[in-house]
Amino acid sequence: MRPQFSIIFFTTLAGMAQGLLFFLAIADLQGDIFPAAFLANLALPTAFILLVMGLIASFFHLGRPERAWRSIMMWKTSWLSREVITLPIVMAANAIALLFAFQGQVPTWVWSGLIISLIALWVCTAKIYQCIRFIQEWSHPSTLANFILLGITSGWLLLDFLSNIWSQPSSSSNQRISSVGFLLLFFALCLKLWIWRRNKNLKPKSNLASATGIKGIGIRQISMGLMGGSFNTREFFHHQSDFFIGNLKKIILVCAYIVPMLLMLFTFLSPSPIAIGVALLIHYAGLLAERWMFFAEANHPQNLYYQRVS
Amino acid sequence: MSKNKQLALVIDLNVCVGCHACVTSCKEWNTSGSAGPLSDLNAYGASPSGTFFNRVQTYEAGSYPNTQTVHFPKSCLHCEEPPCVPVCPTGASYKRKEDGIVLVDYDKCIGCSYCSWACPYGARELDEERQVMTKCTLCVDRIYSETLPESERKPACVLACPTSARIFGDVHDPLSAASQAIEERSGYALMPEWETKPANHYLPRSIMETIQLARNEN
Repeated sequence: MRPQFSIIFFTTLAGMAQGLLFFLAIADLQGDIFPAAFLANLALPTAFILLVMGLIASFFHLGRPERAWRSIMMWKTSWLSREVITLPIVMAANAIALLFAFQGQVPTWVWSGLIISLIALWVCTAKIYQCIRFIQEWSHPSTLANFILLGITSGWLLLDFLSNIWSQPSSSSNQRISSVGFLLLFFALCLKLWIWRRNKNLKPKSNLASATGIKGIGIRQISMGLMGGSFNTREFFHHQSDFFIGNLKKIILVCAYIVPMLLMLFTFLSPSPIAIGVALLIHYAGLLAERWMFFAEANHPQNLYYQRVS
Repeated sequence: MSKNKQLALVIDLNVCVGCHACVTSCKEWNTSGSAGPLSDLNAYGASPSGTFFNRVQTYEAGSYPNTQTVHFPKSCLHCEEPPCVPVCPTGASYKRKEDGIVLVDYDKCIGCSYCSWACPYGARELDEERQVMTKCTLCVDRIYSETLPESERKPACVLACPTSARIFGDVHDPLSAASQAIEERSGYALMPEWETKPANHYLPRSIMETIQLARNEN
């Protein structure tokens, strides 16, 4: 598939905001770990701004953005429609939590509602891709697992950074935060490597014989019926070389996972808000590349019909 | 078989000569209608590109002396279980109950392209100028026309085909020419593995078997 930056920015920004909100809610439900001023003035507004940025990015995906409101209509059948409904609910829950935080205390029902809406949004976003049964790279529960795991990992790194610039944490809590960050990154890395191995071993269910029904050996296309390209040749392929894809995979491993893990080890030993900020930035850059690759490595069976220009 | 009508095309790969008359007649009819033009980009440049509902592709198979060249027209298959319909967030993509035609309501489409991702056949094309999803309508504005002469109330591609490679009809009516062609000449569906139940069918080439028989007799 052709990676689209609108969706790449939407899923990474919203995912990070969801992860941040998830841990804020969990932590606060465990008993006021964060001061209300931190929630009201820094953490909750940051999450809200990320969600708004994600929402704006998602509009660039539409050919007719002025009709976007129509996309709430088919919630009974369409995961995209459900996502469009769930995102404003998350934003509303975030805003309500912010209002309560300004008054000093966010009630349990707000945090609980927020957690439910966050999980619902993760499920909707992942299911948009997972439910397309003939894109075999996507049609697997690992799609959902990867969205959630990378969301909470990036959200945790952001929370780590925000709490560090708010106040210098004690060295014991700093060590705890860094080790959780390291573990989340490690699990996310394992999942990504497992997904890449699965993708590599996938056997396409469709082939030219099933796509055309032509009997005979060695079926090959000699004309796709057009020469100058079409929607079909533009939309379903990443248009990059194998060299580029191979190198991008290395960049993803290094930026999204390995460098942030090393920086977590570093901050475990010597607390440093700058190191955490750098870890967050590099991780986000890697996350953008990871999401780009999520689209690029999805093979669409329609490409069987578009193999030869002439 | 369901009692509902399911209009479809049956394409005879034995006689398609790859002349692209169905492609041009489809474009001519569908770019001229009230639904809006099928726009072309860079139409007179080195690399023209545009919206088409129908394409003719060409394939080869076998090795000498048993080779064959197959011209393969491809358009929306009007699936009985269309995967493109439930994914549409606005309801712009729908399947008509009365005749099984899968259509896009251009006034509701937000141009998100999700339905095109959900079609394994690549039958849908986003119109670059109008930014809405477009696809074969089975010439719904011809086949029910009250102003065209009765003999012309067929899809433009069917009328244009010089070798009658395209049979139009109700595949749920066992007596229709389309159903009988599928029945008698083992018409098949594309990518049956995804259980989309395409309504359009293809009639396999039998010429290779005929040649083989003749060779065996000699």
